[in-house]
Order: sequence, then C-alpha cells, then structure tokens
Amino acid sequence: MARTNVLAPSAELREELRRRGGASAQRCFQCATCSAVCNLAPDGQPFPRRQMLMAQLGLIESLAADPAVWLCHNCNDCTVRCPRDARPGDILQAVRSIVIERLAMPHWFGSIVAHARSTWPLLIGLPLAFWVVLLGVTGHLTMPARVANYGQVVPHVLIYAVFIPVSLWVLCAAWMSGVRFWHLLGSAGPPRRGSFIGATFSTLGEIASHRRFALCEAAHPRRWGHFFLMWGFIGAAVTSGLLVIALYGFHMEMPLPLDHPFKILGNLSAVFLLTGGTMLSFQRIRGGDATGQTTAFDSFFLGVVVLVAVSGALVEIGRFFFSGEVAGWLYIMHLTGILTLFVTFPYSKFAHMVYRTEAMIHQKMTEEG
Amino acid sequence: MSQLSKRPVLVVGAGAAGLTAALEMAETGREVVLVEKEPVIGGRVARFHHYFPKLCPPSCGLEINTRRLERNPRIQVLMSTRVKAARRDGDHGWTVMLETEPEYVTDRCTACGACTEVCPATCSDRFNLGLQEAPVIRRPFPHAWPERFILERDACAQGCHECVDACPYDAINLDAASSLQEMQVASVVIATGWHPYPVEKLPELGGGRFPDVISNVELERFASADGPTGGVILRPSTGTPPEKVAFVQCAGSRDIKHLPYCSGVCCLASMKHAFYVKEQLPEAEVTIFYIDRRAPGRNEDFLVRVAETKGVRFVKGKVGKVEERDGTLEVTAEDAEEGKLLHETADLVVLAVGMVPEKEEDPFGLPRDDDGFAVNDPDRGLFVAGVAHRPADVATSIRDATGTSARALAVGRRS
Repeated sequence: MARTNVLAPSAELREELRRRGGASAQRCFQCATCSAVCNLAPDGQPFPRRQMLMAQLGLIESLAADPAVWLCHNCNDCTVRCPRDARPGDILQAVRSIVIERLAMPHWFGSIVAHARSTWPLLIGLPLAFWVVLLGVTGHLTMPARVANYGQVVPHVLIYAVFIPVSLWVLCAAWMSGVRFWHLLGSAGPPRRGSFIGATFSTLGEIASHRRFALCEAAHPRRWGHFFLMWGFIGAAVTSGLLVIALYGFHMEMPLPLDHPFKILGNLSAVFLLTGGTMLSFQRIRGGDATGQTTAFDSFFLGVVVLVAVSGALVEIGRFFFSGEVAGWLYIMHLTGILTLFVTFPYSKFAHMVYRTEAMIHQKMTEEG
Repeated sequence: MSQLSKRPVLVVGAGAAGLTAALEMAETGREVVLVEKEPVIGGRVARFHHYFPKLCPPSCGLEINTRRLERNPRIQVLMSTRVKAARRDGDHGWTVMLETEPEYVTDRCTACGACTEVCPATCSDRFNLGLQEAPVIRRPFPHAWPERFILERDACAQGCHECVDACPYDAINLDAASSLQEMQVASVVIATGWHPYPVEKLPELGGGRFPDVISNVELERFASADGPTGGVILRPSTGTPPEKVAFVQCAGSRDIKHLPYCSGVCCLASMKHAFYVKEQLPEAEVTIFYIDRRAPGRNEDFLVRVAETKGVRFVKGKVGKVEERDGTLEVTAEDAEEGKLLHETADLVVLAVGMVPEKEEDPFGLPRDDDGFAVNDPDRGLFVAGVAHRPADVATSIRDATGTSARALAVGRRS
C-alpha cells in the first residue's frame, strides 16, 4: 500500500473535531481493541484504530480519502469496549460530518448546514417563510373550512413547480460532491480493479438487506430503526413519482381511495418512516455508549425526518378530524419539513447515503482486484 | 512517648512483604506481632512456580525467612487470625482486637499424615485456587509453614471423627472454638497484599466461559510441581498438552471499565510463562498479544531473551475477542504494526490479569489512592508495605517492606 511520507498534522482539525464532539480522540492509546471488536472491519484494512491516530494528529486529508470512515456503520461496539473511553464511534461520526462539509458544493451552504446547532431555526424557518410567501403571492393563503383535497391548500402544480427544480438542484450538488469523493477514494490506498457494475449491485443488495448492520453487536436495534426509515424513504419517493404520473398522465382524482395500490404504498411508507423515526429517536434519547453521542449532526437530520413523518401522518387524518385551518397549516409544515430535507440533503447527515454507498462500492472493487 | 516504643509493632499479613517487615523490625530488637488470616505463611508468592529475578521456586526464599522467623524470639506469629476491630489510643498507638479461627489441629501435630489417609470428605483446594479437590484434613502444600495440618471443618461429613481416631498424637479437636484477644501496639504495618482480577469479569475474552481460558496465576499452579497437574501444563478441557498458547496482556487492566491502572508485572509474568511453556513443550507456539511490553530496568534483558526464543512471538495489539469454534479457541486482535486483523487459533489462552488490592476488611480506615491501594498514614502510625501499597513484583515488594519497617519503627522514638 502506498504510504505518504509527509504528514501534515493539523491543530485546526483537532480543534474542529473537538467542537463536533470528538475531544475524546486524545484519550486513545492505540491498544487496537476497537479494530479487533469491529465486525465490519475488513481483515486487510482494519479500522478504527488507524483512523483514531489520524484524528489525533489531525490528518484530515488522509481521513477524507479513507473509505473506512464510511464503512463504519456507527455500531459503537468499539466505543463500548474502548478501555480509555476514547469513543471511536463518536470520532468517526464527527469525521464524517467534517468530510460532508469539506466536500459540499457550494461550500458556503455546506457550512451553514454543518452549523445546524445554531442555524436550524433558519434552515426550517426559511422554507416555511418560502411557502407562506409563495401561497400569499399566488393567493392561496385562505384555508377552506374543511379540507377535502389538499390541492385546495397548495395546488399540486405549485408543489411540482417547487420540488422538481429543487430535486434537480440537490441531485446535481450531490453528484458533484460524490464525484469529488470518488476521485479522493481512488487517490489513496489500493487500486480499484473489480467491476463497477458488479460492485454496485452487490452494494445495493447489502444496503437493501442491512446485512452489515446485522453484524453490529452493541447497537443491534439500530439495524431495524434504520431499516424501517430507509425503506420508508424509498417507499415515499416511489409514491411521489407514481403520483405525478397518476395526476398528469392519467388525470386521477385526488385523494386516492384507501384501497388504491398507490395509497397503500404511501401509507405503508408512512408507517415505516414513523416506526423507524420513533425507534431511532428513542435510542438517541436513551443514549449510552451503544448509541454514541448525539450532536446537532444527528439530531437535526433525525428531527427533520420526524417532523416530516409526524406532520405527514397528521395531515392524512387531518382531513377527517381537524378544521381546515389546522389541517391546512399542518400540510404547510409537512411541505416545509420536506423542503428542508431536500435542500439540506447533500449537506446534512442524509448525505451518508451517497458517501457510504460509494465507499462500499470502492471497497468491493479494491478487494476484488 | 517512651512507653509507646515498648509496645510491639503489628504486621498484618505474612506474605513476602509482611514477613520481610516483621523480620526486619524484629531483627533490630523490636517486639513484633505478625498476624495472618491463612493457616500458612507465604501468601501469593508461595503459590508461584518461579519468581523474579532469578526464576527460582518460592520455597527457597520462604525457607530462609521461616528459619529467620523460627530463630527470632521477638516475633509472635498468629496464624488464622484477623484484626477484628481497631481503635486509636489517643495519640499513642492502637488497641486491636484479634480473632483467631478455631484451632482444630493443635501444635501437637507432627504432619505424619495418618488423618488424611482416613478422611472420607473433600473440599475445594484453595491453595490451588480451587483448581482441584483436596481432603478436608491435609497439609496445605508441601513446603507449608507452620508444619501443621489444616482442617476445613465446614466440609466435614456430619458426625465424622475418623481423623480424631486415627491421629496418634491426639492433635485434633473437632470442638475447638475461635478466640479473641486484645492487644496494644505502637504502630501497624499493613501488608494485606492482593488478589488477581477475576477472569469471570472478562467474558468477551472467554473468562469464565471456556475451560481452556485460564488466568496467569492459574498457569503458575499448573506449572508448579505441587499444583493440580503435578507441574505439567495441560489444556483443562482435554488434559492434553497445548500446541498453541496465546497470552492476552492487559486483560482487564489499563481499562476504565475494569482496573484503570497498569499492574506493571503482568508483561514480565507472561514472558516468564512463555518460558514455562517452552521448557515443557519445545514445539509449542506461543504468542503474546500486548499493548506495550513493559520490562523496566534490567528486565529488558529478559525481554530480549524471550523475544529471541524460537516459537515465541509478540504481536502489538490487544485481544478484542476470544471465541470457541469447533472445539478450539479463536483469538481476534489487530496486528497494529502490520495493520491486519488476526484470527488466531489457540488451544490454551492465558489472560494476564492484574493485581487488585485486598481491602474487604479494614478496621483501620486506611486512606486510599484513586486505584484503591492503601496510602501511608504516618500521623496515625499506619504504614503500608508490598502490593497493598502499589502493584509490584516480589523484589520491589520486599524493598518496599524494608523501607516501611524503618518508618513504623520510628513511631514513638522520634525526638
């Protein structure tokens, strides 16, 4: 393996890590218990002992190009067993948040999201203000007495006029960051030799089944929380796509009846999102070594997800139980949560979806070679 | 003050440190009372196979000390005795209440062995760390001093008096009772020693889960000629000699969830144990997994000797897991120098556990450091020697005891 001969230790990175909850790195004495207890560490490239040393020295360039940072699923088996309470799980989580910010395009927006601890009111308030202004300008701020169809609150065309360009934009930003990361991964360590297509399919299969999460010992329940949340997201995304087709392709009448396949898929996704969000929130609130430290990096993303899931569920029953005023504003909150989630996707913890997938593909390609 | 210097000094514990302190003080002319809770002297050291620095058996060092002890009229030795209570006599020393366990076997015993031959009951052999069963009435171990049998009364069969009938010297009294005596002493030397960190607290390293995972102190017994296997190192599960032996350093040490400190002796002990294994089984492969190899001072020469021995390998990386697969043990560690994970098979795993200070019974209310080791309290005439004071090897404990003796003697004599 190629090794850099010149190290560039950085006091700033150490300070940055400390700010993001990674002060414990300095307690590490390199005993290597963490690598030995990690069930996800490959035999030939174990982690996180080496990454702890890099974090102590502030070698951010090396960490940013290291797939191990993302192969880690934050099981915290290492933190549970660490004899010095150096908390490798927390350190890698803090490193991931730093890498996301560094790779963000544009960087300034990445920094705003990276400081969600103080900027979160802005990150939720601006999308809310955006909807209010948009509805005001288009003359839709008066709520009906009873909501029969949420198109009465926000016309569907407005939703698509907002979300289609926003989606394209964030996908573009995520793509650019993802490409940068892919080049970084390739710049260090063993070369990629295996097939990209094969590695990608195998990676997607692992993600779908959560096979790696299943290897976690201490934080075993996180597997199911994450599993439900991820499939809830996928289901919700598929439902949204199907609804565009239903609305504009087949001019179907909204809301769809409860026994319609699209509706069933949407409701199932909502149940998954609520279940996953609740499980993960409870684990975060309970805390402990197996959960790891909860910083704004975790709570902002999880908070927005819970906002979307809970407001979505209330919106659905709101048609029957709430006044038009309440249901209407719940719907606006729901759309606000989704807009925040979309806009911050390449910059928040959500971005792990891109980076971890890439790291897993990269790992498979280097191992196959 | 002169009154105080006529009182004896109390030494609690007759292991290497306590014996040394008692002898050093008595040989200056001071009266000494030496109490030991066990019926034999020698403590933990008596249960070693070999000890540093010369790797000689403990019997030779102990024999010299027992001879000094027997010759010296100023030492009163009280076996099977504990300090039940202690109170400060104003500023003048201590009044202590000593409780001696029932003397079932009296000093008429000649250690002839007639009783053991007829004894129908057995009990766990505590001098072999419970690794085997032993007759209820027996000599604790071959070089035990005093040369008197012990009877573990609780394990006797109901109404049995076979040993009483068999004893030709009328030395057995099954109805003996415990006794109390009060004593005034000038100062106290605490040499209560240590116990090994329990392997049951390390289940992730196989402790208490697999028979072939043993502690370093248990290996001392297996290697010792008066141990449960007659000095042959065997896998407890099969009774066959091991081919691959793994040593897990810092097992429960330097770990905030277990013992936060380094005992400072386990690295050298495991190196010594590697020699035990290689002496008996020259073909065996020994691997020592470590965080740091601590061999201070001249011991570094020993480290070099071990490292150069064929079939002994050092791996930098603490063991994370010990699991059982298909009847053999698998040890997982990262070789941190190579940056590779190792899954090594082993048929005997030795956990190098650290020293825990004995502190269950402390009528003196000793001050302690953050790790639980007792600290000298000169204002109250309390001094600590040996591992009760800090983790140490035998030679260091003995030096510590000698130094402590001087301070304990000075109480009441300072002008």
